[in-house]
Amino acid sequence: MFRRRRNSIDFRAEIDASIQLEADRLREEGLAVDEALAAARRAFGNRTLAQERFTESGSRWPAHLARDMRYGLRVLARSPGFTTAAVLTLALGIGANTAIFSAVYAALLRPLPFRDVDRIVFVMKKNPPRGWSQNPISPTEILGWRDESGVFEDLAAYTQTSCVLTGAGEPEEDPCEIASGNLFQVLGAAPFLGRAFSADEDKSEGPRAAILSYGLWHRRFGADTNVVGRAMEINGAGYSIAGVMPAGFSHQYGTPYGAIPEMWLSGIGLSPEGAGNDYFGIGRLKPGISLEQAASRMDAVSVRMEQTLPDLKGWRAQMMTLRAMISGDTRPALMVLAAAVIFVLLIACANIANLLLARSAGRAGEFAVRTALGASRGRIVRQLLAESLVISLAGGALGVLLAFWGCQGLAALAPPVWLRSAPGLASGAADPRVLAFALVTALLTTLFFGLAPALQSARLPTVEALQETGRNSLQGPRSRRFRNALAVSEIALAMVLLVGAGLMVRTLGQLSRLNLGVDPAHVLTLRVPLSGDRYKEPQVSVEFWDRVVAAVKALPGVESASVSRGAALGDWWAGQFFVTSDQPNPPAGHVPDANYVIAGPDYFSTMRIPLRRGRSFNQHDTQSGERVAIVNEELVRLHWPGQDPLGKRLRIGPPTSPWLTVVGVAGNVMSQGPEGGIHAEVYTPYQQFPWLLGGPHHLLLRTSAMIAPESLTHAVMQEIHRIDKGQPITEVATLEHIAQEPLAGQRMVMALLLSFAGLALVLAALGIYSVLSYSMAQRTREIGVRVALGAQPESVLRLVVGGGVRLVAAGMAAGTLAALILTRLMAELLYGVRATDPLTFGVVAMVLTATSLLACYIPARRALHIDLMTALRHE
Amino acid sequence: MSTQDAKERLELLQGTLDLLILRTLLFGPQHGQGIARAIQQTSEQELLVEHGALYPALQRLESRGWISARWGTSTNNRKARFYALTKAGRTQMVKETTKWNRLAAAIARVLEPGLKEG
Repeated sequence: MFRRRRNSIDFRAEIDASIQLEADRLREEGLAVDEALAAARRAFGNRTLAQERFTESGSRWPAHLARDMRYGLRVLARSPGFTTAAVLTLALGIGANTAIFSAVYAALLRPLPFRDVDRIVFVMKKNPPRGWSQNPISPTEILGWRDESGVFEDLAAYTQTSCVLTGAGEPEEDPCEIASGNLFQVLGAAPFLGRAFSADEDKSEGPRAAILSYGLWHRRFGADTNVVGRAMEINGAGYSIAGVMPAGFSHQYGTPYGAIPEMWLSGIGLSPEGAGNDYFGIGRLKPGISLEQAASRMDAVSVRMEQTLPDLKGWRAQMMTLRAMISGDTRPALMVLAAAVIFVLLIACANIANLLLARSAGRAGEFAVRTALGASRGRIVRQLLAESLVISLAGGALGVLLAFWGCQGLAALAPPVWLRSAPGLASGAADPRVLAFALVTALLTTLFFGLAPALQSARLPTVEALQETGRNSLQGPRSRRFRNALAVSEIALAMVLLVGAGLMVRTLGQLSRLNLGVDPAHVLTLRVPLSGDRYKEPQVSVEFWDRVVAAVKALPGVESASVSRGAALGDWWAGQFFVTSDQPNPPAGHVPDANYVIAGPDYFSTMRIPLRRGRSFNQHDTQSGERVAIVNEELVRLHWPGQDPLGKRLRIGPPTSPWLTVVGVAGNVMSQGPEGGIHAEVYTPYQQFPWLLGGPHHLLLRTSAMIAPESLTHAVMQEIHRIDKGQPITEVATLEHIAQEPLAGQRMVMALLLSFAGLALVLAALGIYSVLSYSMAQRTREIGVRVALGAQPESVLRLVVGGGVRLVAAGMAAGTLAALILTRLMAELLYGVRATDPLTFGVVAMVLTATSLLACYIPARRALHIDLMTALRHE
Repeated sequence: MSTQDAKERLELLQGTLDLLILRTLLFGPQHGQGIARAIQQTSEQELLVEHGALYPALQRLESRGWISARWGTSTNNRKARFYALTKAGRTQMVKETTKWNRLAAAIARVLEPGLKEG
């Protein structure tokens, strides 16, 4: 029943009319005109009261609220300092929380678009005795686990590769997968055009079919709905297009490390004899089977298999739910950021509460006057709450803006690996649910913290408050203790954030100080996949690279150039088993392995990898020369400790491969990035084949220190296309960039933690400042009396600063304790520094102390400069 | 009412004013001044109706939908706001009257014996 509210003008008219009526009556009784009117007025009594009661009773809540808020706006506009501080604090809290939790949602919580996603598991293998995990699996294992364990409804397999598209249009290379036809069905997805692979197409020699991603279909085929059945040339072979997957599908599964496939090829040809460890499995567990049950039954199968197949000795299935797989590395980082941002919000809330308390304390006089003039306590509480509401709405609106910027900033800052596993994150959009939640939180916190001072002021006896002009009215022990507790907890929270940020700074410092074993500055790398029938002949491939290297070396500004398969620091780990001539028949399960790199003659000088012994590759290491290899120091340490490695022999791959003679020892390189550690490595010259794993396809060139390596990109590409213009060129990057990439996640966490911690520091300092300057204002008279009685400046200083120092000490003690417990949770992100690093704790304590003292100093200085007369006349 | 000394009169119990207004309006639409006068006359000048309370009370009853109001002309050609009982107001009045009678009877039962003994 929302009738239009009667306005007070109408009400006043009614009262006027009523008085008129009474006057008329009195005149009839014989009074004079003006006498009658005066008597009628007197008889009516307190008109204002009636008016006030009308306003109170009749008005409805929304109208009331709007008026209170208008008044609140005016009041807040009168103290811009307080208002700005409160609104900004709240906005930062909301903005940061929304941005981080949008990321958390996108990466960790978002529902995955697959039926019964909890039953979908990612299957790899591990070898605990040798410390290997997340390895790809062989067809033997896939078939064994699928058919004998009885835990899967179905198990699909795929292998990652690259597809060079030729024929119509520009040649291009795209990441793709050779997948079994049941992959889509296991995931509960299907092509939206065409069909999945048939059983016939799954055979290695079956008809070749390709399924396109939505993106490729749009980009290369103009979203033509008649594309199914059309022929295309992939890696030099003819394929027919079987179907097109819906938009976004390829983002939704797979390891965050793998590239996002642009198409899927048939012909996986899984056979029980297949031994290549090239595959990953994706399976759907039968209903009611847990991950643990599945693991134990698959282990039983593995135990059975390794009896007959010694190569499988020690290997067990390793399973992760699809969600765990997709979240990958983002989880620990996001958890830390989420915790940090909650701390920021807590500090922001404490700060706002403190500001509101101090403010309402200063206004006790105002409230007392209003109460005396007839305002009910409820009115005053409502008024204060309306002011809180204005603050939270303004803070919320600004927070939404900050949240949008924050999300975009986060998307820009996030490492590519994160974006790959969380497409929602890449879009840089704030999640509406998170935003709504943050806004509600802001509203509730402000109202809650606004309520405490509001109730407190309403409780005051009017007379007392009037007499004291609000001086001591809110300085009761309970209120003071509450405000002190707020300041202490702000300092404690800031301390935890500072320690977290400090630990990340130390981690990044440690990581960037690491000697990678190469000099990544001024090196440009790019990849030419060399597809096409011509390059199936190794000699043709070698000649191509010879010509490219010669041409690139001739470019001005290029110091040296080389080729390789597997550029150091890149994601090109290629573990291969090998045997040495000293132990040609190691027991099954103990065959050593090493990273396998095919390299050109100037590889070591281009990368600046030091040669410890022997020689580098040279022009004589060709097909006709002796088969040679260079090993790293780690391999020597493991296999020929204390012996001369030069002249030793080793054999990589199957027993049919040739023996290689060690001619040099290279320094260790952290091939897998700073956190990958050091592993045994074998280098072989690219002019000597047969190669394993295909030939070289990376070009590396070192420029002179004067030139930015990326500035040569165009010239280098021209040279390559002059030699063969049909070759796509991909993965153009500087080695510096490649070296930095693995640290991107930690760098982002560090940057965010630093800004959160900085914010926390400022807010906590503001908290101390407001507590001290408020209590200072309360004690102006007391200090004046002290000074009048001869107190020295030092003792006044001690009085004010002493109060602050006690708060800071308490906050830091609590903060240290909390940090000791909480930083342990971020251990996964740390490198080369312990979560309890004394240096970090010490520096943080110093920073916090210095900032707090500064916050104490300003009110203290004011205390020193109190004008005696003003202070004494303060009442 | 107004011209006489009000001190000897009874003050209205909280909430009873509403009932009296509704009851008065049962006889037809009336303006505020008329309602006050009617209550005082029917109570034989025993009840005091404070204008400061009357008009907010009318406003309250109106916003609850128990009475409706419109501007009209009084018998001596003055503009006045006239109030009339609505259907809901009539029901409410019957309910309140029953309640009041029960309350009054109950109080009377408590007070009666004491009076007899005294």
